[in-house]
Formats: sequence, structure tokens, C-alpha cells
Amino acid sequence: MELLDSLPFPPFGYEEKNGRLHLSVPDDMLRPLVSHLVRKEEGELSNLYYVPNENKVMALVLVPRHGIVVLESELEGEGYPSLTAEVPAANWYEREMMEMSGITPLDHPDPRPLHLHEWPRHVHPLSSAFDKTTKVPFTGEAHHFRKVEGDGVLEIPVGPVHAGVIEPGHFRFSTAGEPILNLEVRLGYVHRGVERSLEGCALNRALRLVERISGDNGVAHALAFCQAVEMSNPVPERAQLLRCIFAEMERIYNHLGDIGGMATDVAFAVPAAEASVLRERMLRLNAKLTGHRLLWGSVAIGGAARDLDEERKDLLEGAMVELGLAFEPLVDSINGSPSFLDRAETTGALSLPMAKDLRATGPVARASGWDRDTRRDFPYGAYERLGFLVPVRREGDVLARLNVKVEEVRESISMVKQCLDHLHAGELRSEVPAPEGFGLGLVEAPRGELVHCVHFKDGKIIRYKVRDPSFCNWPTMERAVLGNIVPDFPLINKSYNLSYAGNDL
Amino acid sequence: MQLTDLLLTLVEVLFILLLSPLLTGVIRKVKSWMQCRQGPSVLQPYRDLWKLLRKSTVASKEASWLFLVIPYVCLGAMVCLAVMVPVFTTGPSGGVGDMVAVIYVLGLFRFMMVLGGLEGGSSFGGMGSSREMMISAIVEPTLLLSIFSVAAISGTTDLSAISDHFAGLGLNGLSPTLFLASAAIFISLMAENSRVPFDNPATHLELTMVHEGMLLEYSGRELAMMEMASYVRLTMFMVILSNVFFPWGIALGTGAGELAVGVGSIALKLLALSVSVALVESVMAKMRLFRLPNLLTISFTLSLLAVMSYYIL
Repeated sequence: MELLDSLPFPPFGYEEKNGRLHLSVPDDMLRPLVSHLVRKEEGELSNLYYVPNENKVMALVLVPRHGIVVLESELEGEGYPSLTAEVPAANWYEREMMEMSGITPLDHPDPRPLHLHEWPRHVHPLSSAFDKTTKVPFTGEAHHFRKVEGDGVLEIPVGPVHAGVIEPGHFRFSTAGEPILNLEVRLGYVHRGVERSLEGCALNRALRLVERISGDNGVAHALAFCQAVEMSNPVPERAQLLRCIFAEMERIYNHLGDIGGMATDVAFAVPAAEASVLRERMLRLNAKLTGHRLLWGSVAIGGAARDLDEERKDLLEGAMVELGLAFEPLVDSINGSPSFLDRAETTGALSLPMAKDLRATGPVARASGWDRDTRRDFPYGAYERLGFLVPVRREGDVLARLNVKVEEVRESISMVKQCLDHLHAGELRSEVPAPEGFGLGLVEAPRGELVHCVHFKDGKIIRYKVRDPSFCNWPTMERAVLGNIVPDFPLINKSYNLSYAGNDL
Repeated sequence: MQLTDLLLTLVEVLFILLLSPLLTGVIRKVKSWMQCRQGPSVLQPYRDLWKLLRKSTVASKEASWLFLVIPYVCLGAMVCLAVMVPVFTTGPSGGVGDMVAVIYVLGLFRFMMVLGGLEGGSSFGGMGSSREMMISAIVEPTLLLSIFSVAAISGTTDLSAISDHFAGLGLNGLSPTLFLASAAIFISLMAENSRVPFDNPATHLELTMVHEGMLLEYSGRELAMMEMASYVRLTMFMVILSNVFFPWGIALGTGAGELAVGVGSIALKLLALSVSVALVESVMAKMRLFRLPNLLTISFTLSLLAVMSYYIL
């Protein structure tokens, strides 16, 4: 591969597995290599974690023109030179690695705990020494937030318990009057130990658990897990199309919820009500098609668990046409309202360089002008055969994110229709051999690129790393709110609509 | 003051107190209809108040004695307002309903509410209070100026006498001044009573709150009183708008027939105003906080034009 030739120095060893390039590198070479791939080859750091059984740090870098690069680096000591200084996107991964696995990225600029609250510094839940049944005492150690000092600077703590039915997260604002000088997001309140529970878990049980990591992205998570288990074994065509239909249905109901949510947050009640009517219709349709409003349990290892008979196909096709017709007036009433546009334009703008540095993903990245979509750049399942556009906006503000989501709904409707046209009788599932070694699931979830990295040994999971798109996007929101006023924050937060549970794991 | 006058004033106050939650219920009902929802019954505000009245009070440790006194002062100020403003008859409140006093009773209410927001010691209360002061700094002169314009026409600052004057004139009383001033008052009504586009009375987002932010720390009976005071304030603004600017139908004497017409006409006007408030709230999104002064300046300009048009035309 030409990518190999361009590297500043040759790796220890390389091999090609399932279309991916696996490079072994010594731990002190990890930083220059990742930094080279990100800066010179426009690669994106998509995952970074530690595998205790193999004593390896794994870095997943996606290079759009060349493919997927997996760097494996065996550690010689307790740590390795931190990537964060050269690749800012590595920041949260490394902080997570520090507290969860006890690996020290040397000279990390910000070595505070990330998601564990009041944990003893020497207890690492993902290290092999940690026993799942131990009760860990609270240390009572307070988290040190970034401080902004000066005349008239006010710190506003918000959360973790919020009004309304939303997930827990703490937001620490530093403000001067209304404008926000700094925001620090403190998450981890719904950390359930998902990755550790998945270790040694039977595959079918693991599928059910993975589906529940972030409930409204259940299909995407299940799909990523299935991809990792299936390696590159073929899946029947009918199942691929069904998976695609379920994934797009999930995107549609999620985006409808987001569009309505943005209208609710600016007290634009009538379109908000219209959007929630449309979303509810979709949820009821989901229940009719698959037996579950959130489409859980519709994907299975090696295929799909729910089939669409002729009657359901007609129902779905009719519903898509109806949705297409009902959706446009809603978009018009939102986009045609000066009072809404005034709130959404220029609010919470994320610049393209910032989005790239912190490695934003999904609608957030596309709204900031970064033309990236896993379905198109690293196609999986039926997406290779479908025609669709990837909407991109340049402004990076709330309105851009809204419009990206609006256009994605239109594309998803068209994709569901295309899938229905291609859907011919056939097998629903195929047998998949027991997985071995490294499995990768790469899926475009409604919130962006979702990565599951699974290490198998003797058909058992020995390390499971989930990287939800929200994990990438939270740090970018801390940037997008700067300079905005406090009462605009809920709107910006809603336009991101990130998952807390998916991030905290 | 005669016994009948006293009695009438009492009836007027009761009328306002009993009617106010209903108007809020009507606004919510119309808004739900606009959203294709059934919505809660128009009687829901009464039920909420009854529920809150039976709940115990929890006060912040930071709060002083003032915190628990404020609801009484606020509700008291609103009852006071109901005494001063002519509701369905111009008769009894003559001599006490001076417009400057009315504006400053409203000012007292606002001041106490802002203090209540600060008392709890939470950051949301403080944010609500500072935003409320920013808004009211522009609303107050608007209110004064627009009522001043009608005072200039009728030659008195007594609200009853102003009503009496316009009701007596009939349709001849219509003038550009009246329309400009009433438009200004309507915008002030939306701003003072924290309706969309100034504030969102239905929101749960603490960071965006103005009025609700100040009430966050209140609970139980005190919350019920603060809510009640807000309902009454909305009603009193509507009463001022209808009786000072379009007082036709108001009872000029104390005859039974006249009074019945007066009650009917004010009830109709309040209903119409509630519906229009709900309609305005349904077609707009809430404005950005720093855009509010623009809209408020428009209302101030309208009131200024009202005064000028009286002298020029």
C-alpha cells in the first residue's frame, strides 16, 4: 500500500486483515505515527484504548482515501508518550485509559479523571486485577474544574439532575454577565461498566446488552456488534437490506425528535407539536413492523431477526410516502419563520478547523463543512448499492445542524424506498463461525460514526471497546458554546443532542 | 365613600381573584388547540393552586425571613391593584386609582419578586432576577408614557375618570393616540407577564428562564401565592388595557342593568385578550435575550408616538 511508503519510518511489522492495515509499532513511535497519519494523510483518530490481555495500546485511524489503519503497540513499561499534545482528539481517550485501565500516557497535559467520580486513583475497573464484585468506596475527592478568574466572573453549576426527562450530566459555566467564557462538561453519572460486563459474555446476550447502551441508537449499536462478530463473513442480501431499512428508520425517528426538540427549546410550540406527532407516528410504525417502538431486537448475528412480509412492506412504503408529504410543511414552517431563524443562525457555531482538531463526527461535523459519512466513505452492508447524498453545510451553527438533519431525513426516506425496491425473497440469516482475534464494527449511527472494537479469544469476548459518536462530540460542544449567551445554551445542546449513556458506558 | 361603593369594590376584587386562574387556563387551552392537542382543562390552574396550598413549604437555608414574606407582599400588591383599577364600573374606585400609583404598585410587585429570586441563593434565581430587571427597565417608562398619553386626552391621571371620559365619548373617542398607546401596552403586557417571545411560561430549561427562574426556590403555599399573584397581574394588565383604552360597556353608574352589562363586557374583553395572547404565543419563537430590548424599544417608541400624536394632531 502506498500509505506504507509514505510513513516517516517503517513499522515493526504489518499485515492486511479483512481489508484493514494492521501495523505493529513500538510504544514510543505511536505518537509520531498517529500524528503523521492525522496531519499529513488527513486521517482521523477513531479509537484509542488498552487491551490488558495482550498488554497493547490500540489506535484506530481512518484514512479516507486509503482505508482503515489499526496501530498496535505493545507497552514496555507502565506508560507511553501521550498523543494529546499533537493530536488533540486523543485527549478524552487517554484520560479514559488512565482511570479505566491504569495506563499512563506520559506528559498528558490534563491528567484529571474523566468519567469516574470519587474513585480511588489506584483502582482501575478495566484492568485485569480488578474484581467485578468488589465494592469501591467513595473517596470524597472533589473534581477540579477549569477555573476562570477575574472581576465579575460567575461560575454557574448546572445539573447533574435537570428539569425535564433527560439524562444526567453536569455543566460548569464560567460567565461574565450572560456571555459564556468557559464550559466544562462533567459526565460519567450513568457509567454502568458496560465494557467490563461484556467481557466473557455469550454472544447473543452481548447483542441484547449492546442494543441497550444508548437506547435510541439501539439498531446502530447492534449492527456494529454484529459486524465485529461477523468479521467479513457474508450476510444474506435480504438481511443486509432489512438492516439498512431498520438503521434508516432509526435515523428518521431520531432526527424528527431533534427537529421538534429544537423548536420546543425556543418555545416555537406549533411546529414542535407537529414534529412530535410525526415522530410518534414513526414509533408506532416501528412497533407494527418489528414489535418494538425503538426497533430493538430486529438485528441478529449473521442477518436480521425481523422480516417484512408483503403486507408490512406496503405499510412501510405508504408510511414513507406519507412522511415525505407531511415533513415538508413542517420544514417550511420552521425555516420560514424569522423568529426561529433569528435564534438559530450564528448560535453555537463550530468552526471547521475546530471540528477537525477535536474530531467531530456525524451531523455535527457535516454542519461544520466536514464532508464525512461512514456510509459513503467506508461502506458496509447494503449502502454500497444505494444512491444517496451526504448533506454538508458550512456555517456550523444551530441552523446548519438542523438543516443537515432535515436533509438526512429526506435521504433516509429515499434509502428506505430504494431498499424496499431491491428487497427480494431470500435467506434471513446465515451461520457465522465463532469469531477469533480482532473484530471491528463501523457504523454511521444517527449521531455519527459509531465504532465497536472487539477482541475475541476462543470465541469469547476478552476486551470490548465501544466508542459512541457522542464521546467525540461532547468536547466539540464545549467549544461551540464559547461567546454565546447562557440562555442559548439549551438550544445548542439540543442541536447536538448527544447521548450521555453512550458516552459514559 | 358609600356602603354600595365599598360593596362594589369588594365584588370587583373577588371577581378578579376568581377569574384570574381561569384566564390562564384559557390561554393554555387555546395554545394546546393550536398544537392539535387536547390540553389540560381550563380549570387546571385552580386545581394546581389547591394542590400547592395543601403542600408544606421548603425554604433554602440561605434565605432570610424576607423570603417567606415576599409572597404575601406580592399577592397583596395585586389585590391592591384590583381595588385601584376600575373593573366593571367606573364608580367606586374614583379618587384612589391614580395611574402613577398603579405603575408603582406594579413596580413594588416586581421589586419584591426580584428580591425573592435572589433570596434563595441559587444561581438560577439570580439570573432570573437580573434578566427581569433588564426587561423592566424599559417596560416601566413605556407603561408610564402610554397611560400618560390617554391621561393627556382626558385631562386626568385618575384611571376611573379616564375610563369614564372615554366611555362617555363613545366611538368619537377613537383616535390614533389610542391605538398607538394600546399597541405599546399590549407589548408591555407580553413582556411584564413573561409570555412568548419574552419568556416561555411552559419551559423547564432553567438556563433560559426569566420569571420562572425567580420562582424556582418557592414551594407549597408560598408558590401558590406567587403563582396566584402572577395570574392576577396578567388579568390586571388586560383589565387596564381594556378599561383605559376601550372602556365601552363599562358601568358608569350603579344600576343593576348597567352593572350586568359592565360585567358581561369586561368578561368578553378579557376572553378576547386571552385568546389573542395565546395566538401571538403560538406563532412566534421566543426571542434571543439580547434582542428583547429591540422589541421593547419599539413599544417605547409607539408610546412616545402616542403622546406626540396627541399634541400634533
